[in-house]
Amino acid sequence: MSDQWTNRLSEYLDGELTDGERIALEAHLQSCGECSSVLTDLRQVVARARMLEHEAPHHDLWPGIAQRIGATVGETRTVDLGSRRAARRWSFSLPQLAAAGIALMTLSGGAVWLLHSPGQQNLAPPSAIVPSGNPRAINAAVNPRGNATQSYAAAVADLERVLASGRGQLDTTTIRVIEQNLAAIDRAIAQAQRALDADPANLYLNTHLAETMRRKLDLLRQAAALVPVT
Amino acid sequence: MNELGLEAATLEHAQTGRTDPDAVDATLAASGDASAFERLYRNHVTRVYGLVRRMLSDDDADEVAQDIFVRAWQKLGTFRGEAAFGTWLHRLAVNVILARRETLGTRRKRYLEGDAVLEMIPARRPGPEMAMDFETAMARLPEGAREVFVLHDVEGYRHEEIAEMLGLATGTSKSQLHRARMALRQHLGR
Amino acid sequence: MLLALVTGALALVATQQTDTSVTVGRGQRLEVNAYGGGITVSAWNRNAVRVEANTSGADRVEISSTATTVSVRTQGRHGPPSEIELKISAPPWMALSLAGVHTNVKVQGCQAPVSVETVEGEVDVGGGNGLVSLRSVQGSVSLQGAKGRISVNSVNEDVEVTKSTGDIMAETVNGEITLDLVDATTVDASTVNGDISYNGPVRNGGRYSFSTHNGDITLTVADGTNASVAVSTYNGEFESEFPVPLSGMRKGKGFNFTLGTGSAQVTLESFQGTIQLIRPGGEKDRERQRERHHRDEDH
Repeated sequence: MSDQWTNRLSEYLDGELTDGERIALEAHLQSCGECSSVLTDLRQVVARARMLEHEAPHHDLWPGIAQRIGATVGETRTVDLGSRRAARRWSFSLPQLAAAGIALMTLSGGAVWLLHSPGQQNLAPPSAIVPSGNPRAINAAVNPRGNATQSYAAAVADLERVLASGRGQLDTTTIRVIEQNLAAIDRAIAQAQRALDADPANLYLNTHLAETMRRKLDLLRQAAALVPVT
Repeated sequence: MNELGLEAATLEHAQTGRTDPDAVDATLAASGDASAFERLYRNHVTRVYGLVRRMLSDDDADEVAQDIFVRAWQKLGTFRGEAAFGTWLHRLAVNVILARRETLGTRRKRYLEGDAVLEMIPARRPGPEMAMDFETAMARLPEGAREVFVLHDVEGYRHEEIAEMLGLATGTSKSQLHRARMALRQHLGR
Repeated sequence: MLLALVTGALALVATQQTDTSVTVGRGQRLEVNAYGGGITVSAWNRNAVRVEANTSGADRVEISSTATTVSVRTQGRHGPPSEIELKISAPPWMALSLAGVHTNVKVQGCQAPVSVETVEGEVDVGGGNGLVSLRSVQGSVSLQGAKGRISVNSVNEDVEVTKSTGDIMAETVNGEITLDLVDATTVDASTVNGDISYNGPVRNGGRYSFSTHNGDITLTVADGTNASVAVSTYNGEFESEFPVPLSGMRKGKGFNFTLGTGSAQVTLESFQGTIQLIRPGGEKDRERQRERHHRDEDH
């Protein structure tokens, strides 16, 4: 089932509608739960796509390349792809951060915090935020990639659903501002992720990506809190 | 401590992020330094390989990834350093992939219109590995929709760039992207 | 001093014009909730809260007082009230908690904790002592002359703190962060799309963290500063108006250096902008002052 606006939702998401079209679509979204739901899904598809990891080749391609370009392959080089893959596996959410003692923790309510473990002094930026209350903490260090990815994605999805369900009660300007800023953060996340893909062991890029993801969750929480409780 | 001995001046470029080690290696490699080119390969192979896998298939990935680096070695003289090396390499990779597809002789209509895209991926119950299910669904998208989706949402290209690379109208790129996204939303794994 | 505490609710329904004063005593705080319009709170020398407002027939201003709190709230007869400008006078010792949705908030002369939260409105606070927390989604946030633990947040606009002391946390997503003539021992400034500038001493033992994705960072560093500085960037540049001694390259695109004894910790991170260190009174500082002056004149 679709209406004339369903097919324009991707363009809306990517900021490609004219002002007039955008205003009309936003007015439509106020009253069309289905389109709102589709929009939330599309946003999640995009977010999921941006979080996809790249997989290294199963074996080293360099010898074949070297031969074709006429390079002298001197002494036999054995590249430890195991360790490279290990680094790659950690690059998304728990790379050297885990080795450095920072745990990416997912708390109830979808908040993601960066905490320094005791004794780690010289890591930046120190974004330690003391959670209030008694949150249920899932230490993602046990199965970093699986749990952390899923936890973050689930938290983002939860908050986006709250926002989608309440968008009819929020001012359209507010919604647009929030969505534009979410898009800005998503772009920053994508850029950081691409940079990290090329340099998985870079500590700055790892913490920068995690911090930017935290900013996204912060903004989503802030936006969700604007939705009146019914 | 190493005092650089600079007066009120910019820190020597050698220490700044601007001196992109890749650009340095590209210059060395262009003059025949294979070790420098190997460093470039090590830094970028994962991303190139990922692009090949998603745009083509697992079967061809090794061979096409090698082709890309060999082509990059041949074309190093054209890398001017205006963009980051990774960006330049990425564009070259896309060109090689598209040329490869032509060589493989794909005959079927690439850019399906209507709801055909949606029908090609049956909805499945989400498994425990959400990411795997999503990737599998991506792999089952029709070629054209998958190409646009990978280039736009995974790799971050704009529609104008995608249209130019794939020889499409911008509108076609947008509609293919939307169809891919609509098909994939069933595989978010909630 | 005779403390007159009014217990229970004392609701006054305003007609066209509200001009009401309530005597207050030490220990009471002021809470204002105005859906739209403006809240202006100015300090005065009396132990009373005066509320002035003009309202249409359908809207009213409700003022109530308990042992701990004086509450001012705008109400509409059907749904949210239309925009109402609240002009409030309060003693400087009174803690303020001001909230609204489409509400601009302005505070002058407060010497107590201040909390402001609005969605579509600008926040401009002069004063504040203790915990000062200012937040807007769509509007800019500006703070002058505060002292204590400072937290200023916007989403879509700039945040600015001037002539303030204490610990500062400044965040925005799509805006600049300007910390000018501040004396802080802890600074945490973070934006996604925007520049950050810090003009103030870097205190021994302090911790200063500046992070942006798309933007430049400008840090004023006086002669004699003692700091361990870590610079990180992916695709950006680093410049300094004075020689910088390198003490080591960190993995990836970053490096450290130490000034003097290295007492303070300074972290400068920009994904793809320019990170620059300037001297107070130097050429770039003067240029920056001129730009600020021109910008202020335009407003």
